[in-house]
Amino acid sequence: MRISSIKNPFYGFVFLCVFCSGLQGGIKEDVEKIIKSQYGDSIVFSMKKLSLDKRVRTEVEQKVHQRFFKDFIYVWTIEADESVKAFGLLDNVKGLSMPITFLVIYDPKGIILNTHVIKYREPYGGEIASPRWVAQFRGRSSQSSYVVGDGIDGISGATISVYSLTTGVMKLSLLFPLIKPQL
Amino acid sequence: MLKKVAVGIVFVGIITNFVFAQDEFFEPGYAVGGYGELHYNSSKIGEDDASKKMDFHRFIIYYGYNWTERWSFKSEVELEHNYVKDGNGELELEQAYVNYHSDNFGFQAGVILPSVGLINDFHEPPLFLSVERPDYSKYIIPTTWFGNGVAAYGQLGAFSWKAVMHEGLNGDGIASKWSQGIRGGRQKGYKANAEEMVYNGRIAYTGILGLRVGSSYTTTKALRSGEDIKSIGVSLIEVHAKYDSKGFMTVAEWGNISYTDHSVNSSTGYYVDLGYDIGKMLKLDGKLYPWIRMTDINPGVGHESEDSKHYSKIVFGLTYKPINQIAFKLDFSTKTYADVEKDKATLLNLGVGYNF
Repeated sequence: MRISSIKNPFYGFVFLCVFCSGLQGGIKEDVEKIIKSQYGDSIVFSMKKLSLDKRVRTEVEQKVHQRFFKDFIYVWTIEADESVKAFGLLDNVKGLSMPITFLVIYDPKGIILNTHVIKYREPYGGEIASPRWVAQFRGRSSQSSYVVGDGIDGISGATISVYSLTTGVMKLSLLFPLIKPQL
Repeated sequence: MLKKVAVGIVFVGIITNFVFAQDEFFEPGYAVGGYGELHYNSSKIGEDDASKKMDFHRFIIYYGYNWTERWSFKSEVELEHNYVKDGNGELELEQAYVNYHSDNFGFQAGVILPSVGLINDFHEPPLFLSVERPDYSKYIIPTTWFGNGVAAYGQLGAFSWKAVMHEGLNGDGIASKWSQGIRGGRQKGYKANAEEMVYNGRIAYTGILGLRVGSSYTTTKALRSGEDIKSIGVSLIEVHAKYDSKGFMTVAEWGNISYTDHSVNSSTGYYVDLGYDIGKMLKLDGKLYPWIRMTDINPGVGHESEDSKHYSKIVFGLTYKPINQIAFKLDFSTKTYADVEKDKATLLNLGVGYNF
């Protein structure tokens, strides 16, 4: 391709689309980088946007006293050797004033394998993204307790984010068995 | 051929955008929050009758607006002591700044807080055990300390840092209220003199679950009015730690303010809190902390009346948090001065605080 052809408006449009896709795919890329780092580059995964049934959503929201950010979540199905190894659920919770985007990876039985803060947007409380803190959710499921101060340590200086994210993880854990047939 | 590939790329790009748009995770909009505290204070000095008062000490509304993920505005307006009239009560713009936030770095410009001690940054009433803020957070760290300026902050693994530059201190206020450390020198953003600035830097570590350890250094020259009166040099160094885990609520803060060209050489003080949550043991909903605090405050080291203001205090308290955002508090304390001629004071406080 000659340099002059870049000036063609069509190729300019192509460049813009590719550039915008790259920008907007930041969260998706971060999630998939995490999946690859945990399962290796040869892992097979697929992503889908899962609409949440209103009845299911309300049932979970009433139990945890926290609303879903949207009426859908994103789900990654992670497979190897033609069997499902894990599911990654991506959602948002509200911090003090900004949303916190987080990923919870479950085994097929709904037990948490890992939790990751994908994007934290507040000036205070960035410590909740630390692997040591989110590791506290490992091994929990829809049957577990999610109480800050009772099995889950808080972070001084990130109080609102800690409570909000803990509730968000509990919310996805309660949701998991209800949406499992759709995954 | 090239054109077909390009069309394919466009198609994929458009589909990707539809499927996974970043704005599904962020929407511009506002956020509202707040906190407040009602206090009942009974104070008895020596054999005098106790003075009793009730005060809605603080009422704060937080308002923020997020333009984008990176650019936002944050503010707090505070009404102290219910109303403002004839020099009583205060209405303050305690925070109002534009914030830029990238993943591990950010900056602020506007009315901001220097990062000094635990309470100046995090002062919602459910976060501390006592009815009133610790004396240390009044006479050594003058909370809430705010001013017009700029700040940068960041996160590096388990370490966070903040660097602040804001309006200076008023040396006349410090000199006239020598027994209150630098409290009298705050300009609170009111047409603040900015010929000299306050420089503040803080680092904190949160790598152990439930623990926060930090330290800060703050320095300035506090300008005096009048000819041939030297500015007061101010250097504040402090360390702080909080451990909130496995039922324990333990806090320790120590600070020292060194002065030059002042009637006081330094102001120094500390406090230690030890509390333990027995709510679960008693099968209560919520957390119940019996706690004890030991404090020593000496705001006027080297002053001719040093002993009259140097005191120790021991506080016993009980704090109940039915939910984490609400705290009912009771504490009883005795205050003993270094000047043995001065009567001992006993204080009983009750209060309720909240944040949302």
